[in-house]
Amino acid sequence: MSVEKKITILTGVSLITCMVQKGKGDQIVAAARAAGAQGASIHYGRGAGVRDRLGLLSITVEAEKEVIQIMVSEEQEKEVFVRMYEAGQLDTPGMGIMYITKLDKAAAYIPPHILQRIEQSHHPR
Amino acid sequence: MEKKPIRYHQVVQKERFETHSIRYNELVETPDSAFQKIKLSRYDAWRLLKPYISERLGDQLRAVLPLSIYLVLFQLIILRQPIVDAGIITAGLVAVVIGLMLFIEGLKLGLMPFGETIGNKLPQKSSLPVLLLVTFLLGIGVTFAEPSIGALKEAGANVVAQDAPYLYAMLNIYTETLVLMVGVGVGLAALIGTLRFIYDWSIKPLIFASVIPTLALTIYIALNPELSSVIGLAWDSGAVTTGPVTVPLVLALGIGIAAAAGSGKQSMSGFGIVTLASLFPILAVLMLALYVHSAISVDEILAHVSDIEVFEPAWYQMTPSVEIINGLRAIVPLIAFLGLILVFLLREKLANSRVIMLGLGLTVIGMIIFNLGLSYGLAMLGTQTGSTIPAAFAELQGIEGSPFYWYGLGIAITLLFAYLLGFGSTLAEPALNALGMTVETLTNGAFKKQALMYAVAVGVGGGIALGVAKVIFDWSLIWLILPGYLLAMMLTVISDEKYVNIAWDSAGVTTGPVTVPLVLAMGLGLGLAVGAVEGFGILALASIGPIITVQLTGLAIRLKVYWQEKRLQVLNAE
Repeated sequence: MSVEKKITILTGVSLITCMVQKGKGDQIVAAARAAGAQGASIHYGRGAGVRDRLGLLSITVEAEKEVIQIMVSEEQEKEVFVRMYEAGQLDTPGMGIMYITKLDKAAAYIPPHILQRIEQSHHPR
Repeated sequence: MEKKPIRYHQVVQKERFETHSIRYNELVETPDSAFQKIKLSRYDAWRLLKPYISERLGDQLRAVLPLSIYLVLFQLIILRQPIVDAGIITAGLVAVVIGLMLFIEGLKLGLMPFGETIGNKLPQKSSLPVLLLVTFLLGIGVTFAEPSIGALKEAGANVVAQDAPYLYAMLNIYTETLVLMVGVGVGLAALIGTLRFIYDWSIKPLIFASVIPTLALTIYIALNPELSSVIGLAWDSGAVTTGPVTVPLVLALGIGIAAAAGSGKQSMSGFGIVTLASLFPILAVLMLALYVHSAISVDEILAHVSDIEVFEPAWYQMTPSVEIINGLRAIVPLIAFLGLILVFLLREKLANSRVIMLGLGLTVIGMIIFNLGLSYGLAMLGTQTGSTIPAAFAELQGIEGSPFYWYGLGIAITLLFAYLLGFGSTLAEPALNALGMTVETLTNGAFKKQALMYAVAVGVGGGIALGVAKVIFDWSLIWLILPGYLLAMMLTVISDEKYVNIAWDSAGVTTGPVTVPLVLAMGLGLGLAVGAVEGFGILALASIGPIITVQLTGLAIRLKVYWQEKRLQVLNAE
């Protein structure tokens, strides 16, 4: 069997998804990165539900949301998760919701020297 | 990732967060839980309200605070005059901040949903003539609701009837007609702007078709010595119209109509209405001046003046009832109009009616508080600074030691003050920031946001400085407006359609509800102090300035791109 190209698959990856009001995403991403997350993607969306139930206070909650998605290692996931929860003040009503999903596989560019180092640590001489 | 036996941060985290789990099912067990109202504790409600309020308060503070501090410091340090009635002015400025905050938020919650619903639904249900009629009426309605319009009415009190009888008559006897005519101008602008949306007209012919008759009528009126004092008012009223109510509401309707009926390919379609809405009112007010001239003689006006002074003001003419009545009169007709369209033309119900009611209530209350602040904060401060400015270069009664500076230096200081006032307040205007971002996107980054903001700010600053010079030296406004607009039109001929759109709109965007009253009041106070017939015209010149500077910047950018391409060609050839 001939191999055309070698792909390194990353395992043990979790995805943290956090939905907050528009404009609050940046501080959460900053907290996540401070806690060790590599990067984040943010997209926009609209929420429905909680605002109807808040009555007149719903004016304080923006319907437009930012959805932050961050991939972290399973070891990091709890630390990043709580840091994001704290930074986003998710213990306030109407503020947002977040969850973790286990990812099966992931792949991306990995700098060769890092790859080499990891492989060396797997097969010590 | 290397593995270590104990991870330090996990220890820290254990101390800070005690996590425990419950099953999600326990949370949603009752079948109607998704519709139950959430009961909030006071603390949680406060936690929701605090960032909400502080963010909005901050927005308005940023608009009001630097400008007022600048005026106060100038008066204290350069003019060495104490602020008279500092307490009242401070209270007034606080009222402006709170009033604007409530008003803008109410606008967003209450009026905008109306505008959006009508903009989305009306084009599907009505024919084009009905649409245009609604647009036209909406233009009139929003003008009455525009906060800056109150400043125009306020200005009437400072005009001396003997010096400028027709100006006095238009501001004091025909006040409502004046606002109505401004409204008609805005309405027509909205109508034609909407047609432009639909048929994708070029902006250039529209500009020529509206500027040329306006200039012609201005010249005609300037030739009549009795009437010539109204020119400043007419050209200023154009700058007053395009504020926080008009622009979004009219645009919402226009965009809705265009989406339903338009040609569908307009990247610049958001522009143009603002331009026309600042040109047509000028024409309308000039026409009103002609009408007033034919309807009432100078003697009748003077008789009216002496009549008025006899009466004690009735309860409804005193503060605060007059502000409350004005506030109601400004907003309620607009709400009623929008409501009638919704009920009778559309037969629609608005979702979330409680929030909308709250929004409408906030709009009205905000308008009333803003009006109070306008009279006692912005207008008083502006008038005071304006009337003490001449102490820098001339002897002024009641001010000891004036003139403070050698004449030429005093004039230079005054003009520099005026320039910085315009420059600073323009850069701080949030609407300009938004426009700058739009422009950068539309021109694919060729026209940088910073470039636009500085071009506009230089234009406004220069315009205000020129306007102040006009008041001090009692120049005739027409000699400034005529060459200014001729230059602007020449630039329009040779500029790109894109830059023309941006330039003519940027003039309207910059005149917000804080700057307009301050500058108007300052001009009038200055005019009174130096004994000029009238102090209008500063805003008008502040509107021409950016039209010229932005188009010049546009040309410079085109030139730069051209040279870059040329150089690239040369490099490639080599």
